[in-house]
Formats: sequence, structure tokens, C-alpha cells
Amino acid sequence: MTAHDPTLDFQKVAKSGLSMPMASLLGFIGLAVVSWASILWGGKSGFSELFMTGTWAGVAEFIGQLLGRGTERTPAFLDFASWRDALWLSLDTIAMSVLAIGFAALAVLLTFLPAARNVAFGELSGNRSAIGCAGFFLMRGVFVFTRGVPELLWAMLIVFVFSPGILPGAIALGLHNYGILGKLSAEVVEDLDPRPARALRTAGASNLQMLLYGVLPQLLPQFLTYMLYRWEVVIRTTIVVGFVAAGGLGREFRLGMSFFQYDKVMLFLMCYLLLVLGVDLIAAWLRRLVR
Amino acid sequence: MRASSRSKFREGRGLLTLILAAALGLSLLSVDWTGGLLHSGGVSYAVRIFGGMFTPELSPKFLALALEATWNTLTFAVTGVTLAVGIGLPLGIAASGVLFSEGWLRTSTVAAARFVLAFLRSIHELVWAWLFVVAFGLSPMAAILALALPYSGILGRLYGDFLNDVPQNPLRALRASGASEFKTLAYGRIPMAMPDMLSYTFYRFECGVRSAAILSFVGIQGLGYQIQLSMDDLLYDQVWTLMYLLVAVIVAIDVWSSVVRRNLTR
Repeated sequence: MTAHDPTLDFQKVAKSGLSMPMASLLGFIGLAVVSWASILWGGKSGFSELFMTGTWAGVAEFIGQLLGRGTERTPAFLDFASWRDALWLSLDTIAMSVLAIGFAALAVLLTFLPAARNVAFGELSGNRSAIGCAGFFLMRGVFVFTRGVPELLWAMLIVFVFSPGILPGAIALGLHNYGILGKLSAEVVEDLDPRPARALRTAGASNLQMLLYGVLPQLLPQFLTYMLYRWEVVIRTTIVVGFVAAGGLGREFRLGMSFFQYDKVMLFLMCYLLLVLGVDLIAAWLRRLVR
Repeated sequence: MRASSRSKFREGRGLLTLILAAALGLSLLSVDWTGGLLHSGGVSYAVRIFGGMFTPELSPKFLALALEATWNTLTFAVTGVTLAVGIGLPLGIAASGVLFSEGWLRTSTVAAARFVLAFLRSIHELVWAWLFVVAFGLSPMAAILALALPYSGILGRLYGDFLNDVPQNPLRALRASGASEFKTLAYGRIPMAMPDMLSYTFYRFECGVRSAAILSFVGIQGLGYQIQLSMDDLLYDQVWTLMYLLVAVIVAIDVWSSVVRRNLTR
């Protein structure tokens, strides 16, 4: 960042009438006002219900059911056998998240290269080609599209093809994260120090040698950090993908909700929170190994 | 680099590789490979679904419906994210602890705010949504709250980090000229952290559009809802039109945010 000179800003504003960030802010505020108005006055919004005692009585009732009120048997979250089953399901959920991030990472490592501007347009290797340019736009397009579609929608499409279980969920999560990791990796390659690669080229290295010794050593630490960070996000999403892909905790959570067995829902929520916490801790530890 | 620290460095990498490979291997083992991976007829479904990619439905009547769904999704994203900023900013300021000088009050406020933020963001917005729909009934407000809670947890945590990570010298100058901690925050920390905060908020807005689209799962109108309806009618051409619209909105926000960021950091 350069030193901030307020007079420059003033000149810019005076010239263009309105600075770009200011115009964006106003634009966003306008969008927000219109959106809130269309929600609050466009039919039943549920806003006034937030201030009615009946609503809160319903909420209290629901929380009571979550805590096991109204079930004849022992609430599931106090029952040893239920915990054992739920923890087995949690293992499935962990496997799903690991597979998802593993598929995404492997696919990215195979395809990130054409998506980096400096590689595609030959700034790094020294020879520019039409195939390189076409590959750049194709791969960037694929990354944008896979990342633009949320995991749950991918899952809805994929369950039509694969048998229910943890595999379709892992593929759906993998597709979305492939787009995210691919974009981030390509950006890391674009920002990397070109000197080692150039030195290798001058010394007569082949393209593969340049990749192995000039690009990957700089990319991998960043890549692993991003991967572990995405894994933390993925574990939060696995339960949701499990709703439709019928794998792990998500399926049981959905069944519990459908059959009004809220004490079981509570148990699955507890397992879910444990998973999220556990993965955060493991990922933090693994990140220290990367450094 | 000294020899000992170098070998330690190698060891960390080796261990990491081993752990990651083992995790992937064990996970692959837990997939049931025997029962048939694909549905019977799964391949022909795949051909029909992914064939629709190249022939999206473009009739004016359907496009009008699709654009309305896009607008619905956008309004949920905007309202959810604005509410999330409203909840996340005060919590983030509390979690950064910048308003207090050292002492038990600061420690306990920071700990409490961090715990609340961590709890809010651990639960996925769709899980919140489902719980809210059962508790409050199906209404737009339930969906907006469901979106806003986890987002405020994420935004608040990052706002807190950004507010802490600003350069210290301008703050010292403000304090030396007699500014209170609140004024230091308002005239020092927030303006300096603004580019980072804004660009991250934009990124969450982009995520918000995706999340709003999948709130259809609990019955909220929008792109996801229309996608579900078209899927149920086996009209895959319509599904892809809606998907392309969703991606277009996300790309537009991405471009907008990168333009703003370039202007702010220049």
C-alpha cells in the first residue's frame, strides 16, 4: 500500500464526482434497503411474529423437546448405545470430508497449471501458444462454475447417478472445493517468484523439471494451508450434504427431524459440534507441520 | 538455515504427507465398494442430466420465472448478510478486546465473545434454518436469521482479527493526543481495517448468495427451490438455466468486489 495522501483522494472525488468505493457502498445500501423492504412488506415476512409470546412459547417447547422432554425412554444423548452408534456415524462423516478434500486436492494438483496466467501466457516458460491461452480460459471457466454451484445442489444432481452413501456426498463436496482450491492455487502460482523458474530454464530445464523444482516447492505450503482451511469448512458442510446424499450424520439428522425424535437430533448436533471442534484442532496442528 | 532446524522442517513435511495419505486411504476403505457404486441406469441419468448443460431452456416465460427466483435469492443473501454485519461487528469489536485496557473485564469479555462467535459459526446455516423452521415456522425471517447467525460468527471473528492487526503507531499518535479507546477505534482501527473488512464482507456476500439458494431445502423461495421443482419434473434443461444464473450472480459479485478492492488498496 502506498502512503495515503488525502489531497489526491479529494482530487479524484472532485474529478469523477463519486469515488468507486463510495458509489459501491451507496449501491449496496440501496440494494439492502430494497431487499429488506421487499421482505418486510412483500407478504408474510414472519417479522412481527418475532415479537409475539406464542412464537416464543413454541421455541421454548422445541428446545424442551431437544433436551428430551416428552420422551418416555431415556433421551438419546444420555444413552450409551445411542452415543456409540452416533460416533460410528461420525466416523463416516469424517471419511466423507477427507475423501471430499482428497478428491478436490488431487484433481487440483492435476489441473491447476493451465489456469495460472503467467504459465498459460508463457511468461514463465518463455514460449506463448494458442493452446495455452485456450486452456487458461477453459480451466478458469471450470473453476468458476464448479465453485459457483453450492455443494448441496451438486449433491442433488449426483444422487441421481451414484448409489446413496458417503461417495456421492464426497464427490459433491469435492466438486465445489475443487473450484475453490483451483482458483486459489492458480492465484498462488501467478504471484510466485518467477526467478527460480527462469534460472532453471536458463540452465536448460525441461517443462516438467521447471514444474517440479521451480513451481511446486513454492506452491505446496500455501496449497496445504488452503486445503486444511477448506477441510474445516467441509466438515461443517458434510452434515448438510448428508441430508440428500444419505451418508453419515446428515441422513440420521434428517430422519430424526422427520420423525420428530428431537432428543436424537440433539445427540447428532452434539456429535456435529464435537466433529467441528476436533477437525479445527487437528487442522491447526497439521498447519503447524506445514510451516 | 541451521542444519538441525532444516531436518526438523523435513520431518514435519514427511509426517504430514504420511498422515494425509493414511487419512485418504482409510477413508477410501470406509466406502462400500461392493454394493455397486452407480444406480442401475445411473449412467443414462448422468448423460441426460449433464447433457442439459448444453441446451439450457431459454423460453421467455421460463426466463422471467428464473429471473424472479434469482431476485428472491439475492434479497435473502443481502438481508442475511446485512443482519450478519449488524450482529458480527459489535461481537467482533468485543472479541478483539480493543475497547478495554488490560484486566479481568477485558479477559472475560474477549473470552465470552469468542465463545459466542465460535458457537454461531460451527453450525451450518442450513441446520440453523431447519431448527428455526421447526421452532418459528416457515417464514422469510426464519431463513434470514438462519443465514445471519453463522455468517455473523465468521464475520465477527475476522473483524476482531483485522481490528487487532492494524499498525500500532497511528493508534499511539491518537492516544497521545488524548483520544479515548472508543475514539481510537472509530478514527484509527476501523478506518485502517476497512479495506480488509470490506473485501471479506464482499466474499461472504458471494457465499451468502450460494447459501440463500440452498435454503430452498427448508422451503424458501428462490433459485434452489426452482431447481428442485425442475429436477422433480425431470426438466434438466431448466435446471441448467437456473444454475447458470446462480453462477452469473456470483461472478458479478466477484468482479464487483475485486474492482472495489483494487480501488481501496491503490
